[in-house]
Amino acid sequence: MKKFLAVMLALTMVLALAACGGNNAAESADETPDQQTEQTTPADAAAEKIAMITDYGDITDQSFNQTTYEACKQWCEANGVDFTYFKPAGDSTADRVAMIEKAIDEGYTVLVMPGYAFAGAVFETASENPDIKFVTLDVAKGDFLEAAVSAAGESYDYNPDNWNLEDYADLSNVYAMIYQEELCGYMAGYATVKMGYTKLGFLGGMAVPAVVRYGYGWVQGANAAAEELGVDVTMNYAYGNQFRGDADITAAMDTWYGGGVEVVFACGGAIYTSAAEAAAKVGGKVVGVDVDQAAIIDGDYGEGMTVTSAMKGLASSTKDALTQIVLEGKWDSLRDNIVNLGLVSGTDPDANFVGIPTGDGTQWNDSFTKDDYAALVADMYSGKITVSNDITATPESFATSISLTNQGNLK
Amino acid sequence: MDADYAIEMLHITKRFPGIVANDDITLQLRRGEIHALLGENGAGKSTLMSVLFGLYQAEEGVIKKDGREVVIRDPNDANALGIGMVHQHFKLVECFSVLDNIILGVEPTKNGFLQKDEARRKVVELSDKYGLQVDPDALIEDITVGMQQRTEILKMLYRDNEILIFDEPTAVLTPQEIDELMKIMKNLAAEGKSILFISHKLAEIMAVADRCTVLRKGKYIGTVETKDSSPEELSAMMVGRSVSFHVEKKPAEPGEVVLDVEHMSVASRAHKKDAVHDVSFQVRRGEIVCIAGIDGNGQSEFVYGLTGLEPLREGKIVLAGRDVSHAPIRERSTHGMSHIPEDRHKHGLVLDYTLEDNLVLQRYFEPEFTNGAGFLRRDRIRAYAERLIDEYDVRSGQGPITAARAMSGGNQQKAIIAREVDKDPDLLVAVQPTRGLDVGAIEFVHRKLVEQRDAGKAVLLISLELDEVMDVPDRILVMYEGEIVGELDPKTTTQEELGLYMAGAKRDGVSV
Amino acid sequence: MKEKKNLFKSNAVQSLIASLLCIVLGLLLGYIVLLFINPAGAGEAIMAVVKNFWTYSKQTAQIKNFGNTLVKTAPLLMCALSVLFAYKVGLFNIGAAGQYVVGSCACLYAALAWHWSWLPCMLLAILAGAVYGALVGLLKAYCNVNEVISGIMLNWIGLYAANMLLANVKEATSPYTMHLTGAASAAILPSLGMEKLFSGNKYVTIAIPLSIVIAVVILIVLDKTKLGYELRATGNNKNAAKYAGMAEKRNIILTLVIAGALAALGGAFLYLTNYEQWSVTQSSVPGMGFNGIAAAFLGGLNPIGTIFASYFIQHITVGGAYVDKTMYSSQISDLISSLIIYLCGFTLFIKYAVNTGIARREEKARQKTPQASGEEGGDK
Repeated sequence: MKKFLAVMLALTMVLALAACGGNNAAESADETPDQQTEQTTPADAAAEKIAMITDYGDITDQSFNQTTYEACKQWCEANGVDFTYFKPAGDSTADRVAMIEKAIDEGYTVLVMPGYAFAGAVFETASENPDIKFVTLDVAKGDFLEAAVSAAGESYDYNPDNWNLEDYADLSNVYAMIYQEELCGYMAGYATVKMGYTKLGFLGGMAVPAVVRYGYGWVQGANAAAEELGVDVTMNYAYGNQFRGDADITAAMDTWYGGGVEVVFACGGAIYTSAAEAAAKVGGKVVGVDVDQAAIIDGDYGEGMTVTSAMKGLASSTKDALTQIVLEGKWDSLRDNIVNLGLVSGTDPDANFVGIPTGDGTQWNDSFTKDDYAALVADMYSGKITVSNDITATPESFATSISLTNQGNLK
Repeated sequence: MDADYAIEMLHITKRFPGIVANDDITLQLRRGEIHALLGENGAGKSTLMSVLFGLYQAEEGVIKKDGREVVIRDPNDANALGIGMVHQHFKLVECFSVLDNIILGVEPTKNGFLQKDEARRKVVELSDKYGLQVDPDALIEDITVGMQQRTEILKMLYRDNEILIFDEPTAVLTPQEIDELMKIMKNLAAEGKSILFISHKLAEIMAVADRCTVLRKGKYIGTVETKDSSPEELSAMMVGRSVSFHVEKKPAEPGEVVLDVEHMSVASRAHKKDAVHDVSFQVRRGEIVCIAGIDGNGQSEFVYGLTGLEPLREGKIVLAGRDVSHAPIRERSTHGMSHIPEDRHKHGLVLDYTLEDNLVLQRYFEPEFTNGAGFLRRDRIRAYAERLIDEYDVRSGQGPITAARAMSGGNQQKAIIAREVDKDPDLLVAVQPTRGLDVGAIEFVHRKLVEQRDAGKAVLLISLELDEVMDVPDRILVMYEGEIVGELDPKTTTQEELGLYMAGAKRDGVSV
Repeated sequence: MKEKKNLFKSNAVQSLIASLLCIVLGLLLGYIVLLFINPAGAGEAIMAVVKNFWTYSKQTAQIKNFGNTLVKTAPLLMCALSVLFAYKVGLFNIGAAGQYVVGSCACLYAALAWHWSWLPCMLLAILAGAVYGALVGLLKAYCNVNEVISGIMLNWIGLYAANMLLANVKEATSPYTMHLTGAASAAILPSLGMEKLFSGNKYVTIAIPLSIVIAVVILIVLDKTKLGYELRATGNNKNAAKYAGMAEKRNIILTLVIAGALAALGGAFLYLTNYEQWSVTQSSVPGMGFNGIAAAFLGGLNPIGTIFASYFIQHITVGGAYVDKTMYSSQISDLISSLIIYLCGFTLFIKYAVNTGIARREEKARQKTPQASGEEGGDK
């Protein structure tokens, strides 16, 4: 009997708990409007609530999700806008769709989604929720096509130029931002060779378009600088086939550095850990990616390891988009568009959405100064220097003046 | 007068759901006496001992030690009162030495270190005093069963126990070892220890005990002085009617050969030598042949080889004209071999299955019980089980749907016998079929074996019990260290002669 | 009082109580952990886990997401049945995870590379899982390799083999296998119009009712057939099975073949709905097979109980995603779901505890009131 009572007691507790839970929910629901009116006086922001949804990673991935999350959070706190983030239950379009619907269900109106994996989920939900503002990062036309074309029952040939996206998908409430990674890759490659390094490496994550563009830019930049200086430059080129480091990739990097490679451009999420680990053993260098990684890599693996970083302005473009949508009411001018963000100023490198760090994140020296960088940016902006973004080409085809060894996928 | 008793259990009543295990039982143990506790399986002996040991609490009645009332809540209390027990299955650590086992739990220590020298002195003293020969440094796994038992006894003495309980101590011993144990028990009693001796072997009780208390179906029947009693009287008290000890049977009329074993050898799992070596014999229709021997002389391995549980290393087995030397178990079974296994829990039954499912264990695949689609014919299984239960008087709580685990040992064995006999075999292999059974059940088993013989079956009995070996078979083969060392006629031989063969002291043709 | 005692003693009731207790304990423990981390939202968070799709305000969304949970329940149920089936025969099929992987791999490859339709894809998955299970069985029967050891190793071999093979049918620009669309759309399991019941959830297919049917079939096979009789005998007492002439080795192999086929079919039940794409870079064996162990035990090792247990486990796993991420990081919600699942494994232990508890209480009750038990006897 005592046992039975214990069970009953436990059940009662759970029920009580449930009741509490219910109350809490009700209370917080009551509170939110008050808070909003209180906080949203500066602008007309009360109308919008912002939610970020992660792809399969987490907001602590030191990469895409984290950068986006932090940018959104900072912006929302500064402007007193409601913000939260959601993480899907699994790594599938269905789970992402469920989370998008959950965010909409909870009243969020602006959804920020980083990563190409969102193409299918956005394609599925955007047209059903015309009042919701979808903001995607790094989801290119090809990614949308892949989901949309196959959904229409046709088979996609992976050449976006052959297709008219509007015929397949209604993206009238989607603002997709992609970046000209080849430009900052070019800058990093150019800078590295100019600084005096002649033995380079490229370690990509997976050969997804963004990574390939970074890599081809890096090759073109190094090639241009080698031509200019008239020095012999060698380069190893490979993908790890994953977005994180592990023992196998570290072993490959050991071979590279052991064979004389001085700088490796570690390009793809957390794959930099393998390059940095190997570099630390022999005093080698790395080039960071996406954001200024000097602080984090040097902090973990040794001062002075990071030569520079090929950055794309995830944070700045996210904040910029939010400002335009929420504060300036410019949604109509943004929506239904896949914008390719790159250079917007020939005179102020920091205003651009792609570049390398102008501060301590780059190891400026006499052979490559900040002024040299400013000149490079000016030339690229003016069109004097052009960088190819043709990812159907091979890396070898860009290595006209350097010798490039293409190792393909390491794993 | 009370002070004459070392321990008294007065009017003990202990109930379990649906059964009164002990109903107003009184047991008085005098100081320095050997007191036998006699009863069939399920008579309440174990329950009574569990009450004495504090494993159960009696609902009614009191326990007195030296005339003072005591409460025994758990085995520690019993220990503190000087009560010790040698269990039927020894509680020894196999990989420890004899000495380590004796001091286990009461190790003399100094600053956390063992003081073995002191312990050794005491053990040697005790073993000299009571004539308990042991090697203190031998490992338990290396010594004989007899020496293991002496270790158990020393364990009690080391703890200065005054009241010693022996739970069926002779079941595992050779005749010679039994004699020795009897001597030891008398020694102990002479030195003032009080001994409670649980058994259902009347001869031993008559030989060693001063008094005997008899239980039947949870009730106290009486206490008698053994010198004023007879085995017949004791057994009548135990089973409630007079029991015939002698197996009544007509002379055998052997017919054609059913089983022909030629030069059979079975490899041993434990060592390089064969467990069974070059064994040849025949069993005919209408006779019971018994393989006698002390436990562990290759009988089990021989049966494994014969029934197919283990492969033969060499030799040939012909069953009713069919060579089954390398046939699978199922083939031997369906071609006339029935096997009542030595260990009914290990081999004979699926304990979690119901009685009816166990009764078809050898036949479930027959079209009678399984239809063409592979579904069991539950109705027919039920009907079949009910017939066997009825014919063989298998008693259980819920009939066919009783879990085998919930049945008494005797009824489990009856179920196995029913299953094997009803298969109508040419050869019935019965391995220790009465092990652990009470007198009434033993009588039943023996009667069934003789019935089978008279029905023209060949019966091969493997037994360790001298009485059984002398009474039941028509021919005796003695197995010693894996070989058949002699063939005896039970009508002409004596227990002494049989004992010599079993102990390897005598051998046909050669004198060892 | 007497009736109640008998009720508690019934095996089925005990299993049910033990399972419910496990769930309650798991929720309680999860709640306590949440309280420690952030007391403000603990109640709300644990309710989110419990409510899962009910957290949506619109009924259509609730039903659609209920469908999603069911879609994931079907494969889990199959894995649980795989574990349960082997367990009845005395084998611990931890290799269900690997069998699930090879099943997924086989059906995806057939669908994407050869454009097979769903039925042959499913059959191929079953075949692959059966072969994979047979490997464990052969090793166990003939080399006496413990099925846990070989199962774990084959889990990893299966994972990497699947990654390698499926890399041939992945999208060019991502680590995921292609969608089952275009020519491969024939491989999608038919829904028979069931999606209409679930607000047009296109992932709801015959996999869901089929998995329940298979659970019932397993129940029948174990209880009513000659095969089940043999297999359970082998599981309960290997020696007695051998004594009765049952082909012990064959039974072990056959059991693992069936268990493997069940788990592999689970893989087909998920991937042939197009719900999820296989990521060829995953470096850990999918948890489905391991959760199957918890589901089998939570279900009291009964196929019907396992249906509900599988649903419950999937329910709280998905429910974890709805915990307020601003209060608790995503790892916390995973932790809470895992805690509950972990405690589910204690079902048998709790059953044992309940049993001994009852026995002890009866013992005491009898001692306190010896007359009462006499009266009770008189009632009969």
